[in-house]
Amino acid sequence: MKKLALIIEDDEDLAAIFAEALRGIDFEVENVTDGMQARERLTQGETPFLILLDMHLPRVSGQELLKAIKSDGRFDGTWTIITTADARLAEDFRDQVDFALIKPILFGQLKDLASRLKPKDQL
Amino acid sequence: MNKRLQRFLTISTTDPDDARKRKILNILLVGTGGISLLALATFVYWATTSQLNEMELTLLVGGSIASLVMVLTIYLVNYFWSGRVAALLYLLLLNFIFAFSDTPDQVANGRALIGFTIPIFLASILLTPAASFVFAVLSSLIIAAIAFSINIFPNTPAILGYLFIAFISWSSAGGLEHALSELRTINTNLDRVVTERTQALAEALSRERVQAGRNQAILNSIADGVIVFDNRWNATLANPAIKSMLDIPLELIINKNFRELIEHPRVAPRSRALLNAMLEHGTQPIGFRIEWSDKTLSVSAAQIYDNQRQNTGTVIVFRDFTHEAEVERLKSTFVGVVSHELRTPLNAILGYAEMFKESVYGPVNEKQINMAERIMKNTQRLLGLINDLLDQAQMEAGKLTIHNQVVRVADLLESLHGLMDKSAADKNLELTSEIDDTLPEALMGDPARLQQILVNLVNNAIKFTDRGTVHVRLFRQTGKWGIEVADTGQGIPEAELPYIFETFRQVDADATRSHGGFGLGLAIVKQLVHLMNGEIGVTSRHGEGSVFTVVLPLTTVEGVSTSWRHE
Repeated sequence: MKKLALIIEDDEDLAAIFAEALRGIDFEVENVTDGMQARERLTQGETPFLILLDMHLPRVSGQELLKAIKSDGRFDGTWTIITTADARLAEDFRDQVDFALIKPILFGQLKDLASRLKPKDQL
Repeated sequence: MNKRLQRFLTISTTDPDDARKRKILNILLVGTGGISLLALATFVYWATTSQLNEMELTLLVGGSIASLVMVLTIYLVNYFWSGRVAALLYLLLLNFIFAFSDTPDQVANGRALIGFTIPIFLASILLTPAASFVFAVLSSLIIAAIAFSINIFPNTPAILGYLFIAFISWSSAGGLEHALSELRTINTNLDRVVTERTQALAEALSRERVQAGRNQAILNSIADGVIVFDNRWNATLANPAIKSMLDIPLELIINKNFRELIEHPRVAPRSRALLNAMLEHGTQPIGFRIEWSDKTLSVSAAQIYDNQRQNTGTVIVFRDFTHEAEVERLKSTFVGVVSHELRTPLNAILGYAEMFKESVYGPVNEKQINMAERIMKNTQRLLGLINDLLDQAQMEAGKLTIHNQVVRVADLLESLHGLMDKSAADKNLELTSEIDDTLPEALMGDPARLQQILVNLVNNAIKFTDRGTVHVRLFRQTGKWGIEVADTGQGIPEAELPYIFETFRQVDADATRSHGGFGLGLAIVKQLVHLMNGEIGVTSRHGEGSVFTVVLPLTTVEGVSTSWRHE
């Protein structure tokens, strides 16, 4: 069974590039482009293997979504990666997440990173 | 009455000595005239009682009248013509009177001898001190002549006595005149000094009044709020601008202590802390900002010193910074938004180009791969420029800060090679590096900003080097460590060296075109180095390459609590 990646990113092009990178290494990809939708998605459905979360989202902020993820035990085994163009913001949240990536994020970079991730319970 | 008498006696003349002498003469003339009148009255009384014979009476009354006439004449001479002539006449008159005042034997050798001492003494006062001797000789001649006329020998002790009195008079009058003239000189000087001082004082007063008026006018007309405090922080002076700026009446400022102002409810708590800090530690070298109600005020303070270098108080200038603060906030928001908005599409371009290059949607040929790489390279360059602009904007706003943590020096060089090897190889340059043995493996620093310094310096070196190597060396000095980047490039002309760290500066406009970039790289490095309390320098020879050296304070990891350590 393919690992599920949830990409929460409002920029369609970036979402498409990230999706392509992850599909290339055999992920199943689900895209959400808006904060409100993302919050709903987090309360139901399949628990993803990886969440790629943009910190700048319309309606509900990435910060709020991150709080929801951290407080929900279902995501304990989920790799959480945040993306932002703001280096200082990345620094602020680095301790709370598995990876904090600063834009620009290269296609190859994301591919390399995700391909190295093993299920957390096997660590 | 006294005034009238004074006017009668005083003769106005420009020479104060002459005036004094003529006045004394007048007093003597009044006395002599009075005595003559008294004598005349006595003689007339005697005549009525028939105590005298007719010849004696004629002689005495005639003498008295003659004396009165002489006194009047001398007074007129003294008054209208010459004090000296009058004095001479008066003294001769006295001699004449004494010569005939008694019987010849009494005059030559008896009681009347004493009378002659009077003109001798008066001569020193009325004429000159030396005139005493003339009258001593004259008196001696008179008594000698009278003595010979009655066939006796002149009274030698009396003559010697006259000369002795002349000597005494001469010396005492001389001393007196000298003392008087000195006194006059002192008086004149004193007068002059008093006049000068009075004038200076008047000038100073009027100058001060003008100055004070001008100062008040300046204070009233400036837009900044000004409060002057004495050395106990009581407000002594404030201008109208401060009233409208703080929106409280001047009575709440003037004569109040600064502490009362700080405790005003309109001061934001954080600003109150700043103001209290200023109060306790004296003035701060750089101005700071406070929030007063909905206003932002910039505050700068300066100590006031008097001529003796004593601190007499403090002047505080408040400037309404509300508008500027708003503009600054907007600018920083704008820069943040713009940089985010620019980076997102650039990220997309980069991503698509990479996908194209990686043949994600089917095979591409070598030329197409090359093209995709060029798109990626230029996009990266554009991103670099945006980062530079963002950094510059943050530094200008004072927002860029240094976050120190444990840094492994080997990691710094490793990621430098990762980022820059390709750029060097693209220009057929060699990028080499070394770490001095003495440098500790890890030290405290801001890894991202150190990386930025290294990348910018190496990037700059590669940009201006066409063949050879770019060598990076990390070294240790006493209490410091440093970064050295040496290249074998074209070097920097000596005249340009002082300017190369300036913002938007490249050696010439052509360089901007051929090497790309705004010239922000080195300016950012310099500012980062300064933020880290370090120094940067450069040595260069045109045509032989340049060496950039950054020296930073060294904080070793041992000296830092382990909680700082990063795994």
